[in-house]
Amino acid sequence: MAELTVEDLHLQYGDNPILKGVTMTLERGEVVSLLGPSGSGKTTLLRAVAGLEVPQRGVIRVGDKVVFDGARRVDVPAEARSLGLVFQSYALWPHKTVFDNVAYGLKLRNIASSEVSSRVTRALEQLSLGHLGKRFPHQLSGGQQQRVALARALVYNPPVILLDEPLSNLDAKLREEARAWLRELIVRMQLSALCVTHDQGEALAMSDRILLLNGGRIEQQGTPQQMYSAPETLFTADFMGSNNRLPGRVTEMRDGVALLEGAGFRLWGTAKRSAARGNEAVGMIRLERIRIAEGPGDNRLEADLTTSMYLGDKWEHLFALGNERLRAYGDSPLAVGRHWLELPRRELWIF
Amino acid sequence: MATLADAPTAAGLPRARGRALTALPRALTILITAAAVLAPLSLIVYQSLLSAPFFDAVKQVGVAAYEFIFSDPDFWSALTNSLLIAGGMTLIAVPLGGILAFVMERTDFPGKRWIEPMVLVPSFVSPMVLAFGYVVAAGPVGFYSVWSTELFGGAPWTLYSLAGMSVIAGLTHVPNVYIYASSALKSLGSDVEEAARVAGASPFRVAISVSLPLIMPALLFSAVLVFFLGIELFGLPLVLGDPEGHLVLSTYLYKLTNKLGTPSYHLMAAVAVCIVAMTIPLVLMQRHLLQNARKYATIKGKAGRIRDLPLGRWKWLAVALIGLWLLVAVIVPLTGIALRAFVTNWGFGVQLAEAFTLDNFRAVFDEPTHVRAIWNTVLIGTVGGAITVACYTAIGFATHRRNDGWSRVVDYLVLVPRAVPGLLIGLAFLWVFLFFPPLTPLRQTIFSMWLAYTVVWLAYGMRLISSSLMQVSTELEEAARSVGAGRGRISREITLPLIRHGLIGSWLLVFMIFEREYSTGVYLLAPGTEVIGAQLVSLWQGGAIDVVAALSLINIVLVFIGLAFALRFGVKLRD
Repeated sequence: MAELTVEDLHLQYGDNPILKGVTMTLERGEVVSLLGPSGSGKTTLLRAVAGLEVPQRGVIRVGDKVVFDGARRVDVPAEARSLGLVFQSYALWPHKTVFDNVAYGLKLRNIASSEVSSRVTRALEQLSLGHLGKRFPHQLSGGQQQRVALARALVYNPPVILLDEPLSNLDAKLREEARAWLRELIVRMQLSALCVTHDQGEALAMSDRILLLNGGRIEQQGTPQQMYSAPETLFTADFMGSNNRLPGRVTEMRDGVALLEGAGFRLWGTAKRSAARGNEAVGMIRLERIRIAEGPGDNRLEADLTTSMYLGDKWEHLFALGNERLRAYGDSPLAVGRHWLELPRRELWIF
Repeated sequence: MATLADAPTAAGLPRARGRALTALPRALTILITAAAVLAPLSLIVYQSLLSAPFFDAVKQVGVAAYEFIFSDPDFWSALTNSLLIAGGMTLIAVPLGGILAFVMERTDFPGKRWIEPMVLVPSFVSPMVLAFGYVVAAGPVGFYSVWSTELFGGAPWTLYSLAGMSVIAGLTHVPNVYIYASSALKSLGSDVEEAARVAGASPFRVAISVSLPLIMPALLFSAVLVFFLGIELFGLPLVLGDPEGHLVLSTYLYKLTNKLGTPSYHLMAAVAVCIVAMTIPLVLMQRHLLQNARKYATIKGKAGRIRDLPLGRWKWLAVALIGLWLLVAVIVPLTGIALRAFVTNWGFGVQLAEAFTLDNFRAVFDEPTHVRAIWNTVLIGTVGGAITVACYTAIGFATHRRNDGWSRVVDYLVLVPRAVPGLLIGLAFLWVFLFFPPLTPLRQTIFSMWLAYTVVWLAYGMRLISSSLMQVSTELEEAARSVGAGRGRISREITLPLIRHGLIGSWLLVFMIFEREYSTGVYLLAPGTEVIGAQLVSLWQGGAIDVVAALSLINIVLVFIGLAFALRFGVKLRD
């Protein structure tokens, strides 16, 4: 059953449209990430679901209860939606202890203080914060603050938990640990979570499904594998990974493959929807999919190595092909000069 | 959101009740604010259009009152004087305040930390007290005039001319410019100044050609502010203009009471309307300029690390300039009062040691009305100040995070009293209390004084409250909504506890302002409502210099107690 349904949501500030018709669902026990560049409307969508922004049109349902319906003028205020929201800044109340921060949602629900105390204690223990109840937020590390914010949002068992860039306030090293921990927690507690992020790596790792937003619309949605390996549009392909771009012209098309010709190369690739014979097109391939080859061959091109960068676990080589630049990974340093690069047919997408 | 009806209620959350409970107090708050602001003002306008006091049996609606004052040459000379003094003091205060701000904010001027509170002193001491201080210190037989004559054979200054008043008004309003100029400078990176310095500019050149032009919007705003305060000026011209008979608009209005022998409320109201007609455009202009200045500051982005500009050999010029200003604007009047409060009389040939006495204070404490004035002044600052801050906070919450029409109405509502000098609001409240039967029993209680004070300082107080409220991040309140708290509970349990330090600071500032206030009480002064400020005006008229000196000193001490607390608790003395 869908825990959260959004239908054709439109939202604008003055004359500035932010959401231009977004439709999505969130199933029970599922983690969905809203991914997109800044200004794509992902945070606005999350806040509209939470009830902190008022859309002009569309329907939002939590379970089978309508919490917003533009046509019927229904708008349940945020405080009555009973969703859990974790803020990017955590927004912990500085004048309340950790315990009181977490307990507040229960007190608002007129729950007896003995039960409040046991439920808060349990929530804190689940998030390994058991010993920090008496502290104030400013006495905690960034990671601990994030867990308090989570505990505060989870303690009253909301049907859906909304996470706004939950990891962006942590430093780089901590972020990866927190990512694994958060994914594990969500799966263990069987939470239904909607998570906003601008980091594609985070979205790939955390979610069961990704919604990629672009300019207030959903560009593409699917599992992380689909989004990364089978992008339907240039925007999705570009946003989801590190890529090489080769501009050229499609000169031949058959059986889902297309021939892209440009300055110094002639390559077959997988034809995407937008590709058409005779038109300008862009060839795109992930950095890790380019293979450095011994000599000429099928779907290969010759380029000049300009420099190499050592990344620790591998080398990144920079090649020049006329005015274009290509990057590829390798296990060892290469000599300056001309090299052959293979761009496998299945991995080169023609948009 | 409030326009959307029939929202289904979530189970387990007491939502409907919460909403009704928060809507009612808000409506009440707005209603009471509107009544407190608009009732006295409409009474003034109404009265100005009558041919006699509004309680007279025989009266006609018309412009007779205006015709009378417009045909009175005294009115025109008062208007001219007001404009001259306002213009003169603006020309003096703005450049000085700008340079003072530059020196204090940007250079390695010695002893900045302890000079800063002194710089603000003239804005905390009652202008009435300051003016009196100038008379006893630098008047024809003031302490400094006498000493100067004894030493050099003459005192090369005169206080009682228009020029003298302009200079004194200008010098005592330097803090008003300083406050805005220095906060604009704070938001400006110091790299632009360093670049000018490296290119070969002296500190003075840096100030004139780089820093001050960059804070032009703030300086422009403070110029309008000072000019506006000049139009409102009452205490200084009342005391200093008297000997040579110079009237300004507010003193003209004040003297109208005695001019005809009968109550001439309609004439006073007509003058009041003329003053307000001049101040309202100035207030709107200030609002516009302030918003502009803020925009300007935001465009500049975050200020970089601010480094002190070494003054080098210019240091001594700066020390001399600021020292001279402090001497004239702070030390001369305050020492004048302090000395005068402890001598029996003063003039040529009197020795300080021989004239020393405590009788002035005995005279104060022997007179029950004076004791009551002191007690009332303390009460209105402490208890009254706290209630005032509570009222302002209620109004703040009525508009906090709400962008509907009512919030805009309140925005303008709190601005209105800003345009009306305290003297006039006091007058208007006198009429309200005299002739609005439900309030008449409160006429001779300190409540009438408190209400007028609270309305007069509404705009100032709301700025304090809203700057506290603005510091609460939106997300802290949204987080409370998302876990299920309604507006009322968020205000009580999240926002209010978070701004409590700001509120205590506001209370201290309101205390100081209420101790300092004098003009609002002039017409409300009655047995039972005595406060030091208004009492001083009345005693000055009666010529009781000894008592005035002692009471003035007590008043200064009260303000300084507030100042000491504020400094002790790190309250920002400006917004």
